[in-house]
Amino acid sequence: MHTEEQLLTELAAGKRSATELIYRQHYNTITKWIKGNNGSEDDASDIYQEAMVVLYEKAQNEDFRLTCKIGTYLFAISKNLWYKKIEQYQKMPVRLPDSAGQDDRMDWAADGDISAHREREAYYTQLNAALDKLGEPCSSLLKAFYHKDKSMQDIAADFGYTNSENAKTQKYKCLTRLRKLFFGAQAK
Amino acid sequence: MSIDNNIWNLAEAYVSGALPGNELTQLQAKMAADPVYKAEFQESINMLRALKDSGSHKNFRAMLQDVHKETAKSQPQETVVTPTGRTIPLKTHYWRTAAIAAGMALLTSLSTVWAVRNMNGRMNSQYSLLRRDLETYKRSQNQIISNINDQKKPALAPAKYGGTGFALSNDGYLVTNYHVTEGADSVYIQTRDGQYYKASVVGFDQKADIAILAVEDKSFRFGKGEIPYTFASSKKGLGSRVYTLGFPQEDIVYNEGYISAKNGFRGDSIQYRLELPANPGQSGAPVLDKDGSVIGLITGKESESAGTTYAVTSKALLDLVSNIHGHNIRLPKVNKLGKLNREQQVQKLEVYTCSVKVYK
Repeated sequence: MHTEEQLLTELAAGKRSATELIYRQHYNTITKWIKGNNGSEDDASDIYQEAMVVLYEKAQNEDFRLTCKIGTYLFAISKNLWYKKIEQYQKMPVRLPDSAGQDDRMDWAADGDISAHREREAYYTQLNAALDKLGEPCSSLLKAFYHKDKSMQDIAADFGYTNSENAKTQKYKCLTRLRKLFFGAQAK
Repeated sequence: MSIDNNIWNLAEAYVSGALPGNELTQLQAKMAADPVYKAEFQESINMLRALKDSGSHKNFRAMLQDVHKETAKSQPQETVVTPTGRTIPLKTHYWRTAAIAAGMALLTSLSTVWAVRNMNGRMNSQYSLLRRDLETYKRSQNQIISNINDQKKPALAPAKYGGTGFALSNDGYLVTNYHVTEGADSVYIQTRDGQYYKASVVGFDQKADIAILAVEDKSFRFGKGEIPYTFASSKKGLGSRVYTLGFPQEDIVYNEGYISAKNGFRGDSIQYRLELPANPGQSGAPVLDKDGSVIGLITGKESESAGTTYAVTSKALLDLVSNIHGHNIRLPKVNKLGKLNREQQVQKLEVYTCSVKVYK
């Protein structure tokens, strides 16, 4: 039997079994709630997955301690995300109903986590845009290493370098260019 | 090994926590001595971390998708139970009110259709002008009430519209959108201190959607000194950060964004496309770059996407100014905003921005 703390540690490491366990445990409650609040099937799963990503991000932090149950946290985040989405649709502020949460204080505590999450997403989008702008072979090479977890040996073989040392030199050159592009764009 | 390879080697070891203690001390000493190196090193480790994190993020999302597919498969499709609302019958004595309200709605939509048809090709459903209907709402409500009271036929009251304008010269020349002033009986500007001044149109370019106004009171001045901003004579580049001040409400409102395309609506080269939130009433609002130079004025937005706005270039404005005869419009030559921070820029700009009120 897992304790919630163990589950979170495994989630942070990206372990599938833990992710599956958490996902399934709260799937019904949360998606049902969203669908009961005028959400479609797709809305429900989008929001729930987004909430899982927020939890995943939180769990990355070593000092992270959940002050409530995983389910409560996920529910609070999902509700908050869903209200934000409705707000976007309707272009007018929606008040969180007082009776919405099992623990109302959580609804607002989650706000900071969500904005941190949005900022992070924006940062990654910027980084990925810079990656795409790099051109070949740099773009594919860096993606292979950082996104697909390929080893330098594999990369050397795939990209036609004589050995992994050469591929590594090329990777460093690409990193230098990416750094210029990324931080140059940010400074503006 | 070149310097570059060296820094990445170090950064990779540092990020993974594999840097031996003595090298770490050396590194820290070097960073303390060389701030340029320190900045570069920090950028490097930040980037490596971001690359790694964004990678694991991506993978986590992909895994979630997968988990979701399996979960959704194993769950029986539930039918959504939507709570049925209580039906309130429309009481018969509300019938007259409802009929008048429906009549008003019909009138509004018909006049909208008429207005849309009468505008040029730019004014289609995707493009909305940012003129603000100030009184329409209140008026239609009042009319319904008075209609209930005395059963008279609705009479069309004159409409009142609002936009934003900003100074071309301190002695009372200003610019706004042509569509704000189009068909106006009279135009007033309201300055920051709440005073109204009558103004008249001295020139316009319908195609570019620019109108130049002059305050009729000859002693009128916007501010104490000359205008602090200048007008860009060429187009600014893609991605330039821009901001605007306008009057979507009674109070002045600040928004910022960036140039998202060099050409505007349907490739119109006298426009920019901006990613900048704008609301009705911001028509004619100045768009400035970070150095406080006016690059254009807001004209319309895409109704289908929230943040896409179009602005007429300052070049089109300058062209129009140079074609106006009989008026001596002395454009400012010195930019006094360049060295100020944004807050100070806005504070100065506010004095030279006004709300434009139009009676038809």
